Amino acid sequence: MVIQEGMSIQRKLEILSMAARYDVACTSSGVDRKGNNTGIGNSLACGICHTFSADGRCISLLKILFTNECIFDCKYCINRSSNDIVRASFTPREVCELTMEFYRRNYIEGLFLSSGIKISPNHTMEQIYETLRMLRDEYNFNGYIHCKIIPGTDPVLVEAIGWYADRLSCNLELPTAESLKKLAPHKNRKNILKPMRQIQLRRDRHNEYLGIDDAARNRLLTDSRINIDETDGPVAANIIVPFGRTLPAKKRFAPAGQSTQLIIGATEESDYQIMTVSEALYKNFGLKRVFYSAFVNVNQDESLPSTLDGPPLLREHRLYQADWLLRFYGFKTDELLDNNKPNFNLLLDPKCDWALRHLELFPVEVNKADYQTLLRVPGIGVNSARRIIAARKHAVLDFNDLKKMGIVLKRAIYFITCNGRMMYPIKIDEDFITRQLLASNERMPFGIDKDITYRQLSLFDDVNFQPDMHDQIKILSQA
Amino acid sequence: MNTKKIFQCKNSMDGIFTAIYEAWSSGYGHDNVMIEELCEKNDYSNMQLFSEYITVNTDMEKALKVSRSIKQKISEEAFEIVCRVALSDYRQKGDLIYRFLILGFRSGRDIVNHISNDVVNQMLKINRNVGNEVHHFLGFLRFSQLENNILFSVIHPKNNIISLLAPHFADRLPQEKFIIFDGGRNICALHLPGRPWIISDIPEANPDMVYKLKNYDNYKDLWKIFFENIAIKERINLKLQRNNLPLRYRKDMTEFQS
Ligand code: SF4
Repeated sequence: MVIQEGMSIQRKLEILSMAARYDVACTSSGVDRKGNNTGIGNSLACGICHTFSADGRCISLLKILFTNECIFDCKYCINRSSNDIVRASFTPREVCELTMEFYRRNYIEGLFLSSGIKISPNHTMEQIYETLRMLRDEYNFNGYIHCKIIPGTDPVLVEAIGWYADRLSCNLELPTAESLKKLAPHKNRKNILKPMRQIQLRRDRHNEYLGIDDAARNRLLTDSRINIDETDGPVAANIIVPFGRTLPAKKRFAPAGQSTQLIIGATEESDYQIMTVSEALYKNFGLKRVFYSAFVNVNQDESLPSTLDGPPLLREHRLYQADWLLRFYGFKTDELLDNNKPNFNLLLDPKCDWALRHLELFPVEVNKADYQTLLRVPGIGVNSARRIIAARKHAVLDFNDLKKMGIVLKRAIYFITCNGRMMYPIKIDEDFITRQLLASNERMPFGIDKDITYRQLSLFDDVNFQPDMHDQIKILSQA
Repeated sequence: MNTKKIFQCKNSMDGIFTAIYEAWSSGYGHDNVMIEELCEKNDYSNMQLFSEYITVNTDMEKALKVSRSIKQKISEEAFEIVCRVALSDYRQKGDLIYRFLILGFRSGRDIVNHISNDVVNQMLKINRNVGNEVHHFLGFLRFSQLENNILFSVIHPKNNIISLLAPHFADRLPQEKFIIFDGGRNICALHLPGRPWIISDIPEANPDMVYKLKNYDNYKDLWKIFFENIAIKERINLKLQRNNLPLRYRKDMTEFQS
């Protein structure tokens, strides 16, 4: 291991931001906090993007590792102990200064502090705790802080950190305990779920105490069958929460809740398995976000899939779309996927795909359908559905009105009527509509285009891909 | 034949509100009046031959009366929408607001839901547009630190939004002296610790001064280091980056300046 003495702050920042980049979560959302007039900073629930890096992702937080030294040897990680790379560590003061000065210049919304494991989880988390304490108490920093919890951290430290951070995250990393064991031999599922549960209980209890009904808790998610606890042995529901002290009324424990990250495509799990895990995390652990990170084989490790043709971005995109369907559209994983169809259709977004398999429910009448039904129409999102509901109170809507309201009809026209009439006389026929939808060029994040689609298809050959995929490609190339 | 009476006013919120007051109380009837704010964008070569032009002098009292009745007779929400439209760079926004208020005073707070009405729809579109630009600038705006600890920012927004940005930064940076300078309009928002922010004209702003002052800030380099190293090189996607962060914002952003 190469540790350089007296490294400049420039060099440290270079190393420790590069080492942090594979963590995809970078949102500053979830908490509204006014400035306090004496310190510095406030926070907006909607989150603010400050810039976009060359990979097109939003930069909102100063995302750095406290140290990239690590005693663990996770196969997928650039910082693993077996890698021969330059190592660096910040001091708490350095992190504070960088955060404050970046924040004043409006470069960032706050800090996202993650870390490799130096000496031990507790040793590292103590340093991180000290950093957060200084930022809040000495520097009076009132902006956003997202802090990673290292598996195996003492619950007392988790508790202490939670009062300083806005969001906490424990990364699940891989969808199943077996994969985790294989790729991250020093981690185990239980050590990840334990702090997650602790944070959840602490938040619930304190919110109850404050009389806050945590609206962001997903009500749409009800009874999923799989309880993530059961797959890993029970996680005690009544972990002793340390510090029974009373707290200043306004203070909240991790007010922006917790998130986690799953690596996609390093192991063999299907989309169905992944989404089932996400659903359970939302429902049983009250998570705010599950992030999906397309696997990049940074270590060129031969025991892991090669990503020389690019990481599985399209698959990652589909998972995010499905995740939205779960959180905001009232879908359940079981409606989107099942054992016979364990992976998303790469050529159609999950909602279109679902709608095509449920043509008996369509078309729906825009002037009558309730909110939940509108949400299920391909092409109609949360905003469009709200606008429709508001507008139709005052007028009977026709297609022109929908256009005027900025609703994109390209996909919706196959699934809706206005005043009992469809826009064009269309046969509700699966093949026909499928062809139309495929031809209508879904708006994709740039760079995920058909070229990559084909490359990625071959990448997924081993993941039990839909048998009808080749037919669909044929349709696509004819269209 | 009926000649149109065109009320010409200053291109400002107060100017437009005064014109609305004058036109409304003129007794000519809504169909016979028009409001036209004076700005570079409006093309006056097509002045209508059979129109009568009336110059409106901005009058704070009248403007206040208009804003008060919007808040009371329609809603706070409608008032905010009107303000954003008045600050937009949309041509003939003055007259659009006038038409909107005719409907608004008739239907009350519900007016904002009449989306299928063209006037309302247009108002909401512009409102969203201005709102989006404000939101972008909350993130994309950059301060540089000048020698005397003043934080200085230059931006070139499409709409006249510094008065919509200033409250956010005053709340966020209460202890800082800062200046947000709209380089296209030569106006700026000023903030000093412990005082309310103000908007001020800088008629003879010297851009050289602005750019000369910028070179003292060490943190710029650190920010660029961070910016370059945080991108995942296996996922480089300049198109996506350009879509999320259009080029027009970049010339004022530290990380894109050489
Ligand atoms: S513990 Fe974290 S930093 Fe260390 S090797 Fe594993 S993933 Fe990387």
